[in-house]
Amino acid sequence: MLKIFLWLRYLRKKKIVFLSIAAVALSVSLLMVVASLFSGFIDALRQAAVETVGDVVISPPIKFAKYELLIQRLEQMKQVEAATATLSAPSLLHLGKGNVRAVHVWGIEPARRAKVTGFNKFLRRQGQSDKEPSFDVPGFPERIGGFVGIAVVAEPNEKTDEYDFAAIEKMIGEQVILTTGAVPAAQEFESAAAQVKRRTLKFTIVDIVFTGVYELDKKFVYLPIEELQEKLYPNESGRVADQIQIKLSPGTSADVAIAQIRGLWQSFVDEQLDGAWYLRNTDIETAEQMQNPYIAELRKQMGVLLLIFGVVSFGVVVLIFCIFYMIVSLKQKDIAIIKSCGTPSSSVALIFVGFGACVGMVGSGIGIAVGCIVTKNVNAIEGWVRIIFGLKLWKSSVYMFSRIPNEVDWASALPIVLLAIAAAAIGTLIPAIVAARTRPVEILRYE
Amino acid sequence: MYKIILAIRYLIKRRITYFAVLAVALCVFIVVVVMTVMTGLVSDFKQKNRDFVGDCIVGTESLVGFTYYKDFMTMMEETDFIEGVSPVIKSYALISRAGSQHCYGVEIMGLDPVRHSQATSFGQTLYYRKADAAKAFVPTYDPNLPGCVLGIDLALPRDSNSSYPYAVSPAEIGYSISCFPLTAKGALAKAGLGEINTQTFYFSDHSQSGLAREDSSLVYLPFEQAQLLCGMAGPLERANAVHIKFKPNLKLNAGCEKVASLWQMFKQQKAGEEQADLLDTVTVQSWKDYRRAFIAAMEKEQTMMTVMFAFVGITTVFIVFVVLYMIISHKSKDIGILKSVGVSNADIVELFSGFAFLIGFLGSGVGLSAGWLFLIRINRIEKWLFEHFDFQLWDRTIYAIGDIPNQVSPKVLVVIVISAIVACLAGALVPCWQAAKSKPIETLQVNQL
Repeated sequence: MLKIFLWLRYLRKKKIVFLSIAAVALSVSLLMVVASLFSGFIDALRQAAVETVGDVVISPPIKFAKYELLIQRLEQMKQVEAATATLSAPSLLHLGKGNVRAVHVWGIEPARRAKVTGFNKFLRRQGQSDKEPSFDVPGFPERIGGFVGIAVVAEPNEKTDEYDFAAIEKMIGEQVILTTGAVPAAQEFESAAAQVKRRTLKFTIVDIVFTGVYELDKKFVYLPIEELQEKLYPNESGRVADQIQIKLSPGTSADVAIAQIRGLWQSFVDEQLDGAWYLRNTDIETAEQMQNPYIAELRKQMGVLLLIFGVVSFGVVVLIFCIFYMIVSLKQKDIAIIKSCGTPSSSVALIFVGFGACVGMVGSGIGIAVGCIVTKNVNAIEGWVRIIFGLKLWKSSVYMFSRIPNEVDWASALPIVLLAIAAAAIGTLIPAIVAARTRPVEILRYE
Repeated sequence: MYKIILAIRYLIKRRITYFAVLAVALCVFIVVVVMTVMTGLVSDFKQKNRDFVGDCIVGTESLVGFTYYKDFMTMMEETDFIEGVSPVIKSYALISRAGSQHCYGVEIMGLDPVRHSQATSFGQTLYYRKADAAKAFVPTYDPNLPGCVLGIDLALPRDSNSSYPYAVSPAEIGYSISCFPLTAKGALAKAGLGEINTQTFYFSDHSQSGLAREDSSLVYLPFEQAQLLCGMAGPLERANAVHIKFKPNLKLNAGCEKVASLWQMFKQQKAGEEQADLLDTVTVQSWKDYRRAFIAAMEKEQTMMTVMFAFVGITTVFIVFVVLYMIISHKSKDIGILKSVGVSNADIVELFSGFAFLIGFLGSGVGLSAGWLFLIRINRIEKWLFEHFDFQLWDRTIYAIGDIPNQVSPKVLVVIVISAIVACLAGALVPCWQAAKSKPIETLQVNQL
């Protein structure tokens, strides 16, 4: 009771204590914002990977046949909700007058893909409806339709980083030309003589894809897998693919699912693909595992930045020390009176250490609140900075995503708060010891 | 004189001021290290961009290019402020290596290696032909074959020491390169006839510009061959850009203005001629404007870091405020005595401001020294951490960085020291004002003594 009474009194009388609360709040909010932005970016990277390629990916070193049978077997597994095949190749795209882009073309099954990745929500036109996405060209059933990434067609505005959707959607219906290449099947294993054959294909843009991930929107063009196969591998009799993307059933453990899928894949290779050794030990990994090298690097950068700001925030310890040292110096008579009434030295020390910890708690609380507000509104703040200072801080072409990830990282909040409270308590240690060693007989002497 | 004596006395006698000095030193240390590294990275990046493009670029974004570039180059070469001029073809292509099953999309740059080495630092980026850029496209194994120079990251993997496993001599490898030839109106020149041009080139050298994007996506071809490949050859030849280097004594902006006015004059001369409308898409830009999309991103990071450190530096202001507040509270009698012997309020403020200045100055000095000592060893420290803990601040297999920059910039130092001193003076404002406002008659009362 005495402790609380004294804490409240010092808080009322010594307004300078609010300075230490403010310093703790400032440091905690800065660390919180940095941790949240980095964690948010990493989560967004993971999420983008899953939305692009599904939960699990089978990536053989070369294309393989009979993928429909494989998909049928995969979908019979209780761990697998849906699966789809893709065929890919680097390409050049001629969009119109003098407009050529280097792109990556993916042959896909749009309806299946929508089940595996939620692909339809990224389509500007077909995303509005409940129907399955399709490559059909309205009014021209004989034409090949295709989807094109939004940044393939046009770059975002340099000042606002926003797309002119109205102008971009005028490209829908335009016929464009794609050139790509592949090694004919007969030459696949004749490495010295293998020569990539160039193929050209004309298609009509039937929709624009806007994922919000700049790299994907700038690079990818999507065509029907059958049409792409006909161009790349015209002599193949059956259907071929070079990647299988899988969505797992809800609640499935990824490790368990990968083990089961690997077993099924190896059986499939043994039965249907002549047990080819280079296919048996294919990479089968989750979308998140594929991003691991980049995520590890991002985590390292986050750690270094938090360390730097943490070291500078050590100044808070010094500030709290100075403030409490001043309070102890000025309140020596109070302390002497308390001790003369029988309070032990340890209790006296605990009063100040406890007060320091309270300062840390209150400061952390305010800091977390401010950090949350800033993180949640970071896109609005970035918008204000652009309007007021004309400075566009976040660009999708630099930072990959159209919007700054703004989810608060609550997992980082607890360690930051604990560190802040510990720092505040440490700052009060020496003043608490000085207070504990006060001798009432010397302080209360009448001079 | 007494101001200096008292300020030094408070600094020495009051041990609490050591904490203020320590806090300032810590902040300055961190800021010096981080800003030196960031400034070094940004300067390095800017210099590499300048080396890559030269001083000024007259060019168009359109892949169609523009005509009469040769006449314009002749005009440039007749002036006395131009050191080098180089025309360039730019386009996108598909490339596949002989014997490989894969092809990939690249950017191609057609250039004359001699001219381009005069206008930019292209010759310095080569490996096998660094001493003789004229032979950049001449494979050592067969001088009759058409050569191509690959961006280093297209051909070789970078290791964790930022080195590449160069072969003793270029390997005999053919690359099939295809692109869309375009007419002057931007249409496909071979529409209905296969649409693309394909030609095989043979690896002759690597180019390492130090720019990650360029080194991983650019293939350099001989100018005339690139022109043919892109459909820009013929009676009215086209190019995409002309890179220009000014003589050393000419300032960048002045040079670009001269080139811009010459370009306007040239455009007027050519008005009405065939395909002269292509000249309307051409702009004259300095290297800074031309590469601003890349440079601006790094400069913005630097600015954001500075702002964040400014927030953290507010803690330093608080610390100085508290320390001075404490000292002034304890020294109220001293202040009362000083004022009673005639020291003015302004002098009191000057005294404690000087004291804050000393804290800032001393703290900056300690912080700067510690920062400098750390920076001269930073690469050794990183190497030690990598050898013992497998920790590298920037993974060199992912980031195109060599050694961590550690050259302390005097300009950056001065700004940091001034900021630290200003922060200390800001922290001292309120306590100084309180000290000045105190009345000797109150502080020197018998029951106060």
